[in-house]
Amino acid sequence: MRFDPVSLASGVVIAALGALLLIDSAGGFHISLGWMAVVLTGAVGLIFLLSGLIRGNGGGDLEGD
Amino acid sequence: MNDDTPIMPGPQEEEPTAPTEPIEAASDEASTREQQPEGRGDRPRRLYRSSSNRVIAGVAGGLGDYFGVDPVIFRIGFALSILFGGLGLLAYLLLAVFVPTDGDPDAVQRVGGRLQGTGFWRAVGLVIIAILGIGVLFALAGGAAFAVALGWGVPTAILIIVIGALLALAAFRGGARWLIPPAVALAIGGGVAAAANLDFRGGIGERTYNPTSVASIPADGYRLGVGRLVVDLRDLNWQKHRVVNLKTSIGAGQSNVFVPKRVCVVATTHVGAGESEVTGDVNSGVDVNHSVGTGTKSTPRLILDSSVDMGQLRVINSDHASINTAGYGPGPLHTDTAPLRAAEAKACGGP
Repeated sequence: MRFDPVSLASGVVIAALGALLLIDSAGGFHISLGWMAVVLTGAVGLIFLLSGLIRGNGGGDLEGD
Repeated sequence: MNDDTPIMPGPQEEEPTAPTEPIEAASDEASTREQQPEGRGDRPRRLYRSSSNRVIAGVAGGLGDYFGVDPVIFRIGFALSILFGGLGLLAYLLLAVFVPTDGDPDAVQRVGGRLQGTGFWRAVGLVIIAILGIGVLFALAGGAAFAVALGWGVPTAILIIVIGALLALAAFRGGARWLIPPAVALAIGGGVAAAANLDFRGGIGERTYNPTSVASIPADGYRLGVGRLVVDLRDLNWQKHRVVNLKTSIGAGQSNVFVPKRVCVVATTHVGAGESEVTGDVNSGVDVNHSVGTGTKSTPRLILDSSVDMGQLRVINSDHASINTAGYGPGPLHTDTAPLRAAEAKACGGP
């Protein structure tokens, strides 16, 4: 079975964004629009960066699959 | 060889010259192209990008050759067009991709060749699919923002976490990269709405309030989800020592508060993203906080606490301005704010 690191990294980043939204919506703390723009841009940039770096490698095979 | 007899072209010797014509025609295409603008060649003139007179892709050089003018004129035109909507830039890109060079094919020409090779209808289909895909992503982002603004921030956040977890787990089973764009769209829509404190629970539409007594102003103020809010306080009895407290809140749209110009406005306003004009003071951007008239004890006085999550906030101290007046209705803010600032200074300057 092939392992896709881009999906893994993207999933972690998106789950982290969801956690941030959850804490904000639950009233834990409030992040301003300016900082949210920084966070979202960074997250999207990170996904693009990982996707570009891993392109060509095509991931790897998981042992035993 | 003593036979110096000149060879005169005779009828029988004209034939061998015929095969040389195509060779000459093909030998120097550029020179042929140079001759054609002057005369009326059999072949139509063709536009080529210049391989010798080029700065970027040789488009201006080719146009200069074609029209017989200095390419610098075209270069200046393309550069200036960027300042006026950028249509010239688009034209340059299209010319660079689809017009061949007069020399060896370059990388841009190879891209153009590939585009032409895909076929017209296939290209149209791809464009339509791309537009639909972008539309779906925008709809997802808007849906997430709307859900958060309606108070469903926690369920939306949980949904995004679940999608992220599924994406991470799918990585061990070959991946699910198709899930990344919709998940990111959801996260962006929800995140922006949460950060901007978008609140659509106050309703949607246009609300106009014209209270004639202080008692008729709700203690918790006026609130609207999406749309335009107008609170006109000019029919109140603004007697000398009157102090009125007012709160307004709007999720997305435009908030307008009108007061007579003799009323001193003490305002604390917040705009999540957009612009505000408070008694002539104009600010714009993200997280715009504005305080006006702080500390004054002048009366009559309006103590205003107003917020707009996204959009425009206007506090207009004028006896005649109307929501239908240019600059105070929909569209750009009023540009001549000096009278409003002067009125505020006069109203708040006295004891």
